[in-house]
Amino acid sequence: MQKNMTQITEISIVEDEVHMSIIELCHTINIEQEDLVAWVQEGILNPIGNSPEDWRFSGDALSRAKKALRLSRDLEINTPGVAMVLDLLDEISELRKQLR
Amino acid sequence: MKSKDYYEVLGIVKTASDEEIKVAYRKLARKYHPDVSKEPEAEERFKEVGEAYAVLKDPEKRAAYDQVGSQAKHGQDFTPPPNWDSGFEFSGNGFNPNAGDQSAFFEELFGRQTRARQQSTMNAKGQDHHAKVMIDLVDAYLGAKRTITLQMPTHDAQGRVFIQDRKLDVTIPKGIYAGQHLRLTGQGSPGVGTGPSGDLYLEVSFKPNDKFRVDGRDVYMDLPISPWEAALGEKVDVLTPSGSVDLKIPAGSNSGRKLRLKGRGIPGKEPGDLYVVIVIVTPEAETEAEKEAYRSMAKSFNFNPRKYIKG
Repeated sequence: MQKNMTQITEISIVEDEVHMSIIELCHTINIEQEDLVAWVQEGILNPIGNSPEDWRFSGDALSRAKKALRLSRDLEINTPGVAMVLDLLDEISELRKQLR
Repeated sequence: MKSKDYYEVLGIVKTASDEEIKVAYRKLARKYHPDVSKEPEAEERFKEVGEAYAVLKDPEKRAAYDQVGSQAKHGQDFTPPPNWDSGFEFSGNGFNPNAGDQSAFFEELFGRQTRARQQSTMNAKGQDHHAKVMIDLVDAYLGAKRTITLQMPTHDAQGRVFIQDRKLDVTIPKGIYAGQHLRLTGQGSPGVGTGPSGDLYLEVSFKPNDKFRVDGRDVYMDLPISPWEAALGEKVDVLTPSGSVDLKIPAGSNSGRKLRLKGRGIPGKEPGDLYVVIVIVTPEAETEAEKEAYRSMAKSFNFNPRKYIKG
């Protein structure tokens, strides 16, 4: 483990510059691929591509996947429940925006 | 170190059943979950509730806690007696993976728990790490080089876990905004075998700021003006995050009117907008001349601000 100052060589804004495969996204938030497949089937995430091996997740998927993971783990909600909570949260933030 | 009364945190009695513990936890977790809650200090409360539940739902930990931890009153200083935990064996499965979130009290009782690795292959990419960083809004406008300090749990040669400060030089790219992530390639855990190092992900948020509110790439600021500036119109000098701007206030503006400065929000391919929200500030009438000015206004205007409220 580095103790001293480390020079960062490569830095990217995930949302703008990064696409991930199912393997990368699963590795990043440490979940099993079958869980991610279930999320996609439920419409929580919408990758491009036809089969799981071809899936490409946009950078926005990271925040959404982290949120889905926290909800399912902390509140013990099942996958359809997580999908519904995320949809409702989106709707709330959309309505808040209109209130401004 | 302050002790914690886990029963008090969950609002249950010491004789509560497993089912009652679960119900109490779920109720509070829904109330304080940072993703859904608008309660102040939701995140702090949620951690407390999660920690209490992690102990009380596990019969081994609950028994250990009942024997020692609950002797101390909530908030009192606490040091466990030596060897208090002999005879308890913790299976340690499936604890909250947010290592580093446990209180000092929890660690004194149960030790620091780190996330178990789930890697079976010989060569594998190292674990990715996640952390949060706060940046200044102006850094998002201009980009900046910053040194950030992260605290991370590390093992020493004896396998003991301790917190180590880690300093990183980070180039904050222009145009980033709250909720986005920075990926620092290769700055996670070392790889296994010939596998590459994991990456470090930093979730960005903005430091609280009195002047500016941010929503995505759009930025909002209040602009206090006088009643005559609002009524007659005026050019005023406004200090925005991207520098000084001469702003023309249209005659007949009222409080709450939003003036949009297109493209003066957080920069990017599609830059955000800056909204200047007008706030009319009424001066107090202190001298006789000032009072007279208000009286003459009253005479000059046929104005009823309450015409929409039927008395």
